[in-house]
Amino acid sequence: MARSRSLLTPALLLGLAAAIAALRLSAVAVQPLRPELQLDIPAFPIEVAKPFSFGLSSLVSDLTFLEAIQVNGARKTSVSLAAGKQDDRVLSRLLQYSVDLDPKFRGAYRFTAAALPRHTTDGYAANVFTTEQILRTGIRERPDDWQIAFQLGFIESFYLGKMREAGDAMARAAKLEGAPRFLGLLATRLHADAGDLFTAEQMASEMEEQATEDAARETWHERILDLRVERALRQIEAAAAQYKARTGTPPRDLEVLVAAHDLPALPHEPRGGRYLLQPDGEARSTATARLRIRGRMGTQSGLIAQ
Amino acid sequence: MLSTVAVLAWNTVRELVRSKLLYNLFLFAALLIASSMFVAQLTIGQWDRIILDQGLAAIEVVGALVAVLIGVNLIAGEIERKTIFSTLAKPVSRGAFVAGRYLGLLAVLAVNVAVMLALLAVVLHLAGYGLSRTALEAGLLIGVELALMASVATLFSSFSTPILAAGFSIAFFLIGHLLGDLRAFGDRSKSGLARSLTNFFYRLLPDLELLNLKSLAASQLPVDPRFVLRSAAYGLAYAAVLLVLATLIFRRRDLK
Repeated sequence: MARSRSLLTPALLLGLAAAIAALRLSAVAVQPLRPELQLDIPAFPIEVAKPFSFGLSSLVSDLTFLEAIQVNGARKTSVSLAAGKQDDRVLSRLLQYSVDLDPKFRGAYRFTAAALPRHTTDGYAANVFTTEQILRTGIRERPDDWQIAFQLGFIESFYLGKMREAGDAMARAAKLEGAPRFLGLLATRLHADAGDLFTAEQMASEMEEQATEDAARETWHERILDLRVERALRQIEAAAAQYKARTGTPPRDLEVLVAAHDLPALPHEPRGGRYLLQPDGEARSTATARLRIRGRMGTQSGLIAQ
Repeated sequence: MLSTVAVLAWNTVRELVRSKLLYNLFLFAALLIASSMFVAQLTIGQWDRIILDQGLAAIEVVGALVAVLIGVNLIAGEIERKTIFSTLAKPVSRGAFVAGRYLGLLAVLAVNVAVMLALLAVVLHLAGYGLSRTALEAGLLIGVELALMASVATLFSSFSTPILAAGFSIAFFLIGHLLGDLRAFGDRSKSGLARSLTNFFYRLLPDLELLNLKSLAASQLPVDPRFVLRSAAYGLAYAAVLLVLATLIFRRRDLK
């Protein structure tokens, strides 16, 4: 009797403990979401965080940036657009927050360009527009940083197919201290691809004048010749299109265009080659390749920008 | 008069050097600055930015706490402890007393800022960076801000208790960093009264954001030297006005 009584207390305690655990689990299963858990990341809107950082906004910006690095490290990038949506949103918000708190934070702009755009497994390029918008702020706030302008040019040409804007960004980057020489050439190529030959030639002439080394001057002179070739090829193609629209048949060669007064004269090929008209209406030079950005039409990556 | 002020200032320095609170706050700031090197490793590139941001913030926040918590005790604390009577029993004017106590605190704050900046330079050097000119200018303006905060604490402690004076001074610090937003709020308001009031307080209160170069220092951006000079002159002039006010109030105060 005494022994069964001594066992009763621990058994009762054990039973109560089991009941507590079961009750807790059953309560958790139907627990409503607490308001504080529904707060966004970061919890405070930027309009609140900026004044209430009391002069320490740069430090708060660093902390947000560090959080963005941690989020990026844990984020799965090779997933579908829908599966990575939450991580994309958190990362976008954290990076936007960092540069809003300290618009001069060049590291945050560079990191945004490198980390935010993501190729999804279902054929999308996520976060491209957010990245473009953050980098646009970046070139306004840090006009001294060539890497931000270069990254913007890359995003606009590769993902968005905005060749003229990309050319402008690359041209801006090319003129800044520390920028590699190829950026200027890339800018003129982008402008030529967009059909803005005037801006491209203007930049090439400017760079040729400013060049301090013979090799650089020669490179820019070559680019000016390429741009003149491109201008002539476009003139030929326009004339061919005009001829075809009028007669219903494509022109056989350039002489036909001159004879029909669609082309005033045979344009001069500055590199010593000849201009040829291909059956599809595209003109080319025998001396040099055209200034083009190779890739698919529209978004160069073939991805759908989101 | 000048020698009296100098003696009082020196005595204040000797008294503060024995303060445990001061050492605790210094140690806290030193730890924050030193730990910035480890925090910087969490980032990608631009380590110097994290070190500078954390370091300059530690110098400013801890310096402001020293200026306020110790500043309010220099006058109000003496009155509470009744120790002020032994000093004023000597041929010491109340103006000299206020000036001496303030200058003593200022000397301690200046040494604090200089030592912390040196520590920051060492941490930056260990991480492979140097202390830029803008960082030095940011440090200088933090020094001016602390001089201003010390004068605010002196003003409030000349007519109030230490706890209230500390509360008022901290409020001053926070509002001083919010003035730009206060003005923006007023500009957006449709009420003429609200616009007038915010404009009045914008002009009356010290604009501590004029003494804030931390983000520019962290981004290694150059600053116009005229801005540094004019902002420093503004801060020091404001501190001088508050000190004169503190003296005027303290002269009329009944200490019994």
